[in-house]
Amino acid sequence: MTAVLDRPVSRPPVRLHRDRRRWAWGLGAAAVLVWSLAGAGLFSGAVVNPGGGVQFDRFASAALSPAADGEFLALLATSALVTVAYAALGTALALLLGGVGAVLVSRTTWGRRRLGWLLARGALAVPRGLHEAVWGLLLVNVLGLDPWVGVLAIGVPYGAVTAKVFADLVDEVPRGGYEALLASGSGRATAALYGLLPPASGGLLSYAFYRLECAVRSAVVLGLIGAGGLGYQLSLSFASLRWDEVWTCVYALALLCLTADVAGRAVRRRLATAPSAARRDPVLTAAVLGALALTAWSWWFLALSPGTLVSARTGSQLGYVLGAAWPPATDGALLGSIAGLAVDTVQMSVIAIAVATLGAGLLAGVAARPRGPMRPGRRLAGSLVRVVLLLLRAVPPPVWALVLLFVLLPGVLPGALALGVYTLGVLGRLAAEATEELDPRPRAALTALGARPAGAWLYGVASRATGPVLAYALYRWEVAIRDTILVGLLGAGGLGALLASEMAAFDWAAVTTVLAAIVVLTWLVDLVSDRARRALR
Amino acid sequence: MVDLTVGPGERVAVVGASGAGKSTLLGLANGSVLPTAGSVRVLGADPAALRGRALRQLRARVGTVHQHLELVGQLRVVHNVNAGRLGAWSGLRAAWSLVRPQGLPDVEAALDRVGLADRVYERTERLSGGQRQRVAIARLLVQQPDLVLADEPASALDPVLADQALRLLGELALERGGALLACLHDPAMALRHCDRVVGLAAGRVVLDEPVAALSAADLAAFYGAPA
Repeated sequence: MTAVLDRPVSRPPVRLHRDRRRWAWGLGAAAVLVWSLAGAGLFSGAVVNPGGGVQFDRFASAALSPAADGEFLALLATSALVTVAYAALGTALALLLGGVGAVLVSRTTWGRRRLGWLLARGALAVPRGLHEAVWGLLLVNVLGLDPWVGVLAIGVPYGAVTAKVFADLVDEVPRGGYEALLASGSGRATAALYGLLPPASGGLLSYAFYRLECAVRSAVVLGLIGAGGLGYQLSLSFASLRWDEVWTCVYALALLCLTADVAGRAVRRRLATAPSAARRDPVLTAAVLGALALTAWSWWFLALSPGTLVSARTGSQLGYVLGAAWPPATDGALLGSIAGLAVDTVQMSVIAIAVATLGAGLLAGVAARPRGPMRPGRRLAGSLVRVVLLLLRAVPPPVWALVLLFVLLPGVLPGALALGVYTLGVLGRLAAEATEELDPRPRAALTALGARPAGAWLYGVASRATGPVLAYALYRWEVAIRDTILVGLLGAGGLGALLASEMAAFDWAAVTTVLAAIVVLTWLVDLVSDRARRALR
Repeated sequence: MVDLTVGPGERVAVVGASGAGKSTLLGLANGSVLPTAGSVRVLGADPAALRGRALRQLRARVGTVHQHLELVGQLRVVHNVNAGRLGAWSGLRAAWSLVRPQGLPDVEAALDRVGLADRVYERTERLSGGQRQRVAIARLLVQQPDLVLADEPASALDPVLADQALRLLGELALERGGALLACLHDPAMALRHCDRVVGLAAGRVVLDEPVAALSAADLAAFYGAPA
């Protein structure tokens, strides 16, 4: 046996075989990033606004002295209520649409008719591919300045996403109970009601609250394009250069988004850990009842009248817009500029995701809450980073873009960085949670053999968290490409800016073409992201 | 209450029912468990009294094969073996090694000694339980510790490989004048590869004899199984 152990190394040397698919994706991603940075003008020409420093100083110094007079605060409080009301009603509509839509797009409904299922899924890509703000701008042209604009602008795209997610949740339920009911002769609807819905209900409810949380952020953004509420106050104060008021608005909307974030997460965590005992959880019951009451109050507060939707004026306006929008414009100049701006849009989203991923990777270790005792310095740094991440994601990307435009020249870069810091807020938290969920023992084993903290973290944590974090980053890229349109609408360039200018000119045929381009672009990004995530697995 | 002294050149088997405190004893020896009462001296130092660099230097001289191995599944075998040198490497070198594996000849030699020379670049999670156990032993071979701790190091190995593994650990400990402390559940293994057997029950030493004074039947009785 000793002979076996002490045998000299005589076999041909083993070579390192890299996973070709991953390497191709990695190199491709690096190439696209360099191309995007070049496109943003980072390697050529000026990107920093030399005269912006003074303005920025004035703006930044107002941060410590926000407007606090009673009249303005009362105005902001009313605006915050408008924003919350939009969010609540938009979510309610989205859940209604999503519930009906889920039945139409679930695999359970279509069974083996794959083509029908694919077509139903494909139909969702259109409402889903357009950002809430785009819906808002379109609806303003049909409904005028009516509260329905805000509600529908949130409800329609959210409804499409909700339909897809609800359908997936129901389709993922183990089929045993459902099939047993079918076998015993009950109809498919009854069987689904008894065999599929109850096991899926926790997930459905959790997602509903997540949507409400997102809707608050969307409602703020809709305000920025003129739908009223906090965002609207912010844009008014910004346009009149009242920095002290701007800061009060920013604090107010950060507080609102923060509350939604914390409350939503608390409810969802409770749902995830709720024991399956027969007793109802009083907090969850209160949350559901509260959400229902909030919806009813919002209806009253916004004074929604269903009559507006079916009035003669709405009908004729819709007819006019649709008539003017078809056929889409196909002239070469427009298509050429769409192609160029689509490139800008993609570059913006790529830079944003790169910034966010890099930042999340660097901060994840500090932001994660380790199990066991911590030194006071480590605890303080962790809390600080978590609060910063919370603030980054509490302020919507267009607001970040407005701030960055002080110091950067207009173009791809300010929009990209604005999206980047916002996405960093989201991705940083996800990355920290990914490292928290890892088994702590391999890292402890490395510490026990004398590894430095950095080495133990690199070998024991980073190597295992990289895959999940990259997958999250790719998923956030899909979200970022939609948000790129949003910051574009507010002047940061790309397809969004073109859309805004065509709408301002009432060139509906061109608007149709731009919208089609946006839908195709978001669909392509979804496709690439999905493929890349598969290569990661 | 454990009163136990292990001297250089000793190979000690720790036996006892599960929950008797075997793993805690090893944890005390590598400094991952701090004593609530009494004191521990490892290689002449008290782990509880050391901090920072001094603690790391002590820990680098103590190598452990953990019961659940605690390897990083997503890393290739070469990196898991090289992790044994993290105590000696700077952070930068550790990071660069993930790109270009450092000290490759040592890693290859260590893997060859445990019979895994052809698995250098395999992802560790793709190996079988027994192969992973041998990767954990290869990590110790490159770490070159003075004190070798092993918690059931052969539980997933067939008898031939188990004998090889324990012989290797014993050699590793003795060639540097150190000691081996191994938790074993197989009495025959304890008698074959160790010089001394320590039995634990409910956290106390209830048996401490040189192997020469013990028979397989004595040990089997200790494990509570019929001889």
